[in-house]
Amino acid sequence: VSRTQILLVGVGGQGVLTTAQILGAAAHAEGVPCVVGQLHGMSQRGGSVQCTVILGEGAESSMLCGREADLVIAFEPIEALRALPQMGPATHVVTSRTSMIPFEIVYKNERPPDVDAMVAQLREVAGDVRAIDTRGLVGAVGETRTLNVLMLGAAVGAWPAIGADKSGRPALLPLGEGALLEAVRVRCGAKYFELNKKAFELGKTAGSGTGTGTGTGTGEKAVEAR
Amino acid sequence: MPSEQLLGNDAIVRGAQEAGVAFVAGYPGTPSSEITDGFARISKAQGKGEGAIAFEYAVNEKIALELAFAAAIAGARSLCAMKHLGLMVAGDPLSTIPYVGVEAGMVIVSAGDPSCYTSPNEADQRHLGPMLHIPVLDPSTPAEAHAMTRAAFDLSEVSRLPVLLRTTTRVAHSRAEVTLGPLAKITVRGFVRDPARYVPVPANARRMRVELKDRVEKARDWIARSGFVRLEGVADDVVLATGAPAATTHDVLRVIGAEGRIPVWRVGAVHPLPERELVEALRKVKRVLVVEELSPFLEDRILALAHRHKLGVEVLGKHTNHFPEEFEYEPHIIQRALHEAFGVGSAPRKRPVMPVISSRAPSLCPGCPHRAAFSAARSAFDEDQLFFNDIGCYTLGYAPPLRTADALLCMGAGFTLAAGVARVTGKRTVGTMGDSTFFHAGMPALLDAIKEDANVVAVVLDNQVTAMTGFQESPTHGGKIEDVARALGAKHVETVDPYDQAATIATFRRARAATGTSVVVVRHPCPVNEARDGTKVRLPAYVADTDACRVCGREGLGLRCEVPVTEGYERNLARVASQRKEREPAPEVAPCASVCPLSLCIQGYAGHIVAGEYAEATAHVMARTVLPESVCRVCHRPCEEACVRGAMNGAEKAPIAINDLKRFVVEWAEREKPELLLPKKGAPSGLRAAVVGAGSSGLAVAVELVARGWDVTLLDASERAGGLLTHGIPEHRLPEEAVAKDLARVLDVVTFRPGMRLGRDTTLAKLTKEYDAVYLAIGAHAPRALDLPGAKPTAIMPALEYLRASRMSATVPTGNHVVVIGGGNAAIDAARTALRDGAERVTVACIERRAAMPALADEIVAAEHEGIFIRTAVRPSGWDARGVWVVPVVGDDENEDDEDLLEAELVIVAIGQNLDADAFARDAVTLDRTPEGLVAVDRNTCATSHPRVFAGGDAVPGERSVTAAMAWGLRAAWGMDGALRGREIADRRSPPAIPSTVVRGWSVDAPFAPRRIAPELDPKLRARSSSEVMQAFSEIDARAEAMRCLMCGKCGNCRACIEALGCPAIAMDATRAQVVVDPVWCIGCGVCADLCSNRAFHPVVATEAHAVKGVP
Repeated sequence: VSRTQILLVGVGGQGVLTTAQILGAAAHAEGVPCVVGQLHGMSQRGGSVQCTVILGEGAESSMLCGREADLVIAFEPIEALRALPQMGPATHVVTSRTSMIPFEIVYKNERPPDVDAMVAQLREVAGDVRAIDTRGLVGAVGETRTLNVLMLGAAVGAWPAIGADKSGRPALLPLGEGALLEAVRVRCGAKYFELNKKAFELGKTAGSGTGTGTGTGTGEKAVEAR
Repeated sequence: MPSEQLLGNDAIVRGAQEAGVAFVAGYPGTPSSEITDGFARISKAQGKGEGAIAFEYAVNEKIALELAFAAAIAGARSLCAMKHLGLMVAGDPLSTIPYVGVEAGMVIVSAGDPSCYTSPNEADQRHLGPMLHIPVLDPSTPAEAHAMTRAAFDLSEVSRLPVLLRTTTRVAHSRAEVTLGPLAKITVRGFVRDPARYVPVPANARRMRVELKDRVEKARDWIARSGFVRLEGVADDVVLATGAPAATTHDVLRVIGAEGRIPVWRVGAVHPLPERELVEALRKVKRVLVVEELSPFLEDRILALAHRHKLGVEVLGKHTNHFPEEFEYEPHIIQRALHEAFGVGSAPRKRPVMPVISSRAPSLCPGCPHRAAFSAARSAFDEDQLFFNDIGCYTLGYAPPLRTADALLCMGAGFTLAAGVARVTGKRTVGTMGDSTFFHAGMPALLDAIKEDANVVAVVLDNQVTAMTGFQESPTHGGKIEDVARALGAKHVETVDPYDQAATIATFRRARAATGTSVVVVRHPCPVNEARDGTKVRLPAYVADTDACRVCGREGLGLRCEVPVTEGYERNLARVASQRKEREPAPEVAPCASVCPLSLCIQGYAGHIVAGEYAEATAHVMARTVLPESVCRVCHRPCEEACVRGAMNGAEKAPIAINDLKRFVVEWAEREKPELLLPKKGAPSGLRAAVVGAGSSGLAVAVELVARGWDVTLLDASERAGGLLTHGIPEHRLPEEAVAKDLARVLDVVTFRPGMRLGRDTTLAKLTKEYDAVYLAIGAHAPRALDLPGAKPTAIMPALEYLRASRMSATVPTGNHVVVIGGGNAAIDAARTALRDGAERVTVACIERRAAMPALADEIVAAEHEGIFIRTAVRPSGWDARGVWVVPVVGDDENEDDEDLLEAELVIVAIGQNLDADAFARDAVTLDRTPEGLVAVDRNTCATSHPRVFAGGDAVPGERSVTAAMAWGLRAAWGMDGALRGREIADRRSPPAIPSTVVRGWSVDAPFAPRRIAPELDPKLRARSSSEVMQAFSEIDARAEAMRCLMCGKCGNCRACIEALGCPAIAMDATRAQVVVDPVWCIGCGVCADLCSNRAFHPVVATEAHAVKGVP
């Protein structure tokens, strides 16, 4: 059964829901059957948010059925770690390295978790983890709200969108770039499209691992792949 | 037909449109809100008039349901939407509507919430079906929700019953492909008058009840033919699934490769069940696994059917422990049950364990006016104030640090819970709710409170929108909450903008002080909602100034803070900072602390007293106080002279009663935690010290040396320790038992050798041989004589000698008339003692003018109250057998002609003392002396000209007071430690700083607060008694007095912006030393700047908006 299970995680306000809707709209445009789960509740208020996008014929449920997620796009590394139970050896994770410190940590004045340690924990479970230094990239775009589209681009760059990989597995993102960008344009508005497109391209380059130093401004590599 | 990707809730909207729904009402509630939002959009686009859908956000669900029913009996297809909790609000009409029946189709959408994602319970509303005779449809996917909604209107019309479309969060918030049908035209048939049908008086109701049975059967038949119950596929093992888990079961079977092997019977209509069809199907199977979330609703019905029809089928589900009765079913739960029941597939994979990571709960947004309101409320009310909260964004006030939800129940209960608890406990309580909730169910609750004059503060947090559920309109735009409250009979109604923290705190303080029902409307529009329409210009973000944030001015004096701040303390800081109106930047160190000989953080203990945290207050007092019982009674209180409140204009020109606060704390500790008053013992250093003189200074150095690990021997010429405390201060000021407590604690940690007089029983030469260091605190005991011409009166006595004799109960000379020469504390003490010793008339004669008298002002006043006459500005000019002659002094002029005889049998001379010269007479060790004959020392370290001899107290030059003497001792211990063990070790404990001699004031304003006066004995009664005159503050008075403290000094530990306000735009920097503001999250509300006592927050760019607010 061809079924791609995508999990989007982040912090309320980072555009998790929007990205799920973008993927859904792109799938609809491409004729790929799709179910989107967007449990949000009080997520607008800075809480953890998880959304699912299930692609493939015959899917009815928006939940991750029978196995781990195939693709996790994490807009924040602590939230990536929170999704660890949904990951396994077959999971591809692309996560932002820019953490947002939960208020609980600030309130208790605890040491914030180390991003490298978190990425290492992800790598112990997930088969393929790409950690993107988004701070500099978002800075290069000039608009923090493009983070979600940038991470979408990173996922596309890391594991090219169309076609199956050598093992015969279905593509992680069986959606065309054109359809994705069109969905971005419709969902985020034409006014911000150029910014979003730039973010998508920067993300894509960073995700592919070829764009080292692309405006990161921190001296770190834009992407570290296993 | 075209298809579209729709959210479950949007699919319901579309389905209703395709059914020609004419009227829609609802109240938003997650996860149902997008339904009403969808109709709101459609209604806005269609406008009013023919063919348009009539829609409204009803004030509450009961009203929504009633309106929808009214539409349905008027021949218009109607729908109402709400969450499951809302349907319970509408329980009254809901239970009668099936009896009366509808004319046009009526669909009630009620969204359940398994796992309580956004709800306080996960009640299974399917039970309402059999309970109230209502058909219940339970879609599993958005597509099914769409189809069911469209068909439900037919079902409703066939059966004349309202139909309950019950969804869950999973279906409501999943987005999937939906095949669209054509939109239907709206028709309204009109209301046909038929009272027998529409008026359920008992006679009619009984008829209706019988008719109901037939209508339920019609519904059952319709359901059997509807296609929503699909009992397809025959096998030994089947699954019977309903609701969201039906879709999950379908997908799990596909993924594990068992699709088709195990038929899934989809039961989308759960009441009334097509029993005949079910029985027939069940006859053909051996085992059925019932998959349904929450209660075993279907499982019980299948079991009953199997029993009634004697079916052999084995029913698996919750009763067989294949499924839990709580929470949403995740796929792995279903996968495990399938595996265990039927052996298909595999057990779910072992999932990686999530590492321990911090939770990320939702919180009020940065700049949220609710946060500002709650923060002000916590600052305005006591720490133990009970808060009752309600349903809305402000529910998040539950979380730390705001903690404004001691209990919470349902919409509107914020006021009722507050009133109920107030009624049975007698305590004044606070109830809070938002504007939308107020109109929803709060108005009757407020009316009830007002009717009973409940002792509550009813707070309406009016942000002018129903923000929680997605910014729906709130009825607040139509009517002012204040007008409603007044119309309901509220007498005390106030309105305030929470961004103005000072006003908000003041408003809450007034409401706190009032009795009966007070209403406070806290109004500020939701900034997120304002930003949504883009009309609001974003304010500049704030930054934290690293030079001011968490920087204590006392650190510059070498003092370390040893008492952690608490949230209660920070709330007090926030309260005071919000209410201070500063005309110039604050001094680095609070004026009171800058002059305190012991360098106590006075605002530290005042702040903890306000918070009711007396152990922390004690820690501040005991940071450098050695003899707490004595200090809190006899300190000369330079702090109170320096107090900023004392320098303010107007009626409030009265300093904080600092020493009374200290006494309150010490007495609390004596009662509750006496261990806090015990001297500390440091790790033994192997060093031994001799302390000569067991007065205030000697006792202080002894305690401090012990804390530094020294072994201390304390020598005193007298048989009793204490020096002036024991011999020189009368009991009416310092009772014997108070001194005894202080002495016992010190003598417990040292070796005390009484009767050892320097120069008689030992010498410095001897002591320096036996000990590593010597501290000399022998005081000044040689009285200065009054050398006057003339015949002397009956008795002349130095004040200290007199006080000592009186204190030791020795025979003292008395007389009807007593004159005391001198204007210091010893003079006043002697005068008051003489009165108590039986004198009829006591006069104090001093050379100073009243304002310049060195005695404590309060003591002078107390003496006058007792009847003592104070003769100021006179110089003694000669003795006389009848007393002493004095001449008036005006500036440098004296008028000999006005010489006056003060008659006295006893003259007490209180003009000071000199060092006892005999002490060093025959000592091989000689010390450098000052021209006045005092021991010369280094002011910082108390070092003398001998490397191992140190000196302090009255034996050295400087201010003579009990507190100053102690400070000498503490500094000497540091000096001795430094000299013998090195500065690094010595610096582990900070000595008091040299008090500032120049007091820098502070031009500041603050709300008026009268000084609390500690109780004192009646002057008539006390004048002849040695009982202590001044009594301690009550707890209420102490807290009220401490609240007057302006907390002038900067605090190095404060995190009020995090721990009192809790703004998520504020975090700690990488070193966790100072705070930083996230410029992306900060919306520039400026509340943090208002409540930062260090004034560390400033807007990035000053704008007009901030200039108006007065933010720098």
